[in-house]
Amino acid sequence: MGFGDLKAPSGLKVLNEFLLDRSYIEGHVPSQADVAVFEAIATPPPSDLCHALRWFNHIKSYQSQKNNLPGVKKPLGQYGPAGVADATAAIAKKAVDEDEDDDDVDLFGSDDEDDAEAARLKEERVAAYAAKKANKPALIAKSSILLDVKPWDDETDMAKLEECVRSIQMDGLVWGQSKLVPVGYGIKKLQINCVVEDDKVGTDILEEQITAFEDFVQSMDVAAFNKI
Amino acid sequence: MNMALRELSSLEKYLGLKKPNKYSTRGDKKVPLLQTNNGQPMVGLVTIACHLVKEAKRPELLGCTAEDRAVVHQWLEYRVSKLDSCSKEDSRTILKDLNLYLQDKVCMAGNHFTLADVLIYNGIHPIIVDLTFQEKEQYMNVTRWFDHIQHCAGIRHHLPPVVVLRNRIYTSKHH
Repeated sequence: MGFGDLKAPSGLKVLNEFLLDRSYIEGHVPSQADVAVFEAIATPPPSDLCHALRWFNHIKSYQSQKNNLPGVKKPLGQYGPAGVADATAAIAKKAVDEDEDDDDVDLFGSDDEDDAEAARLKEERVAAYAAKKANKPALIAKSSILLDVKPWDDETDMAKLEECVRSIQMDGLVWGQSKLVPVGYGIKKLQINCVVEDDKVGTDILEEQITAFEDFVQSMDVAAFNKI
Repeated sequence: MNMALRELSSLEKYLGLKKPNKYSTRGDKKVPLLQTNNGQPMVGLVTIACHLVKEAKRPELLGCTAEDRAVVHQWLEYRVSKLDSCSKEDSRTILKDLNLYLQDKVCMAGNHFTLADVLIYNGIHPIIVDLTFQEKEQYMNVTRWFDHIQHCAGIRHHLPPVVVLRNRIYTSKHH
């Protein structure tokens, strides 16, 4: 969730799309959700992003009573359309990095003391950032893949073949349902589903591992590939 | 009970008026009528609705600033003169006009909910109910405003909710 970087045109475009059919960020009345997003925006959206501008002007009129609006302010990453990568961690890291650069330019302090002080502060900030990152559940990209595993002939033990395929264990790989599909001449292929985390498992690795069972597997194909 | 009377009764509930009034109607068009104590009857949806708002001591529903008040009255008049008993052709023109009007607005008048929102909502409901999903997307600003109003607590007493599909099925250009 989140809108991406709301200080950049890309983020404002996401906001604009989101507000096409919504009057408010959450629900049907102005709330702290609107306040949170409003405060993240630097300048009024341009007039070609008419929905974002409409919302902006409307929420601006509630500025005097913003503390009385219902709800609780959440981090920006919790609002907005699902499926947008949460950029708030990247922006926070940028802020941390910029702060660390400032530490280097210390014109007035004495060297030893401040080095230790600066080092301690840096440690603290990095730890805080790491803790923050650890708490935030990342958006994991997953796919559902349907594989066709073909045997050498009709005498291949399909039960054993399936056992071999399912014995492949990897981080980010979960085997699903399977069935035997006849392809002709008494030969059956194994059609098996799996869900993979895109970052960890690819079809080439799967192919490598499956075709390693040379006694049973003649070849493997990807029958279907869907993003979840 | 005819639609106008049902609408007034709904409005009374929204305003929290404890004692419902007894209405009657007049003429072929069944214009609503409220008999008052001083003998002069109040006639007409808008007249009676404004009276109810004052009775409930909710003057902000008629607009907070002079400008807002003018805009509210403009839309109340629009409701009875253009919206009620409009033809199917007219309804498409109305939707087009409203869609343009609502592009940069969350409410009909100013930044707050007013009687204009209630009466236009009531008046336009029968049109919206008959729109296909594609048409609802065509008049996206009207749909957005309509969905906002129908979710406002206490407005939608006598009218069934209209489903507004959130996923944009038709990704044609629209504003």
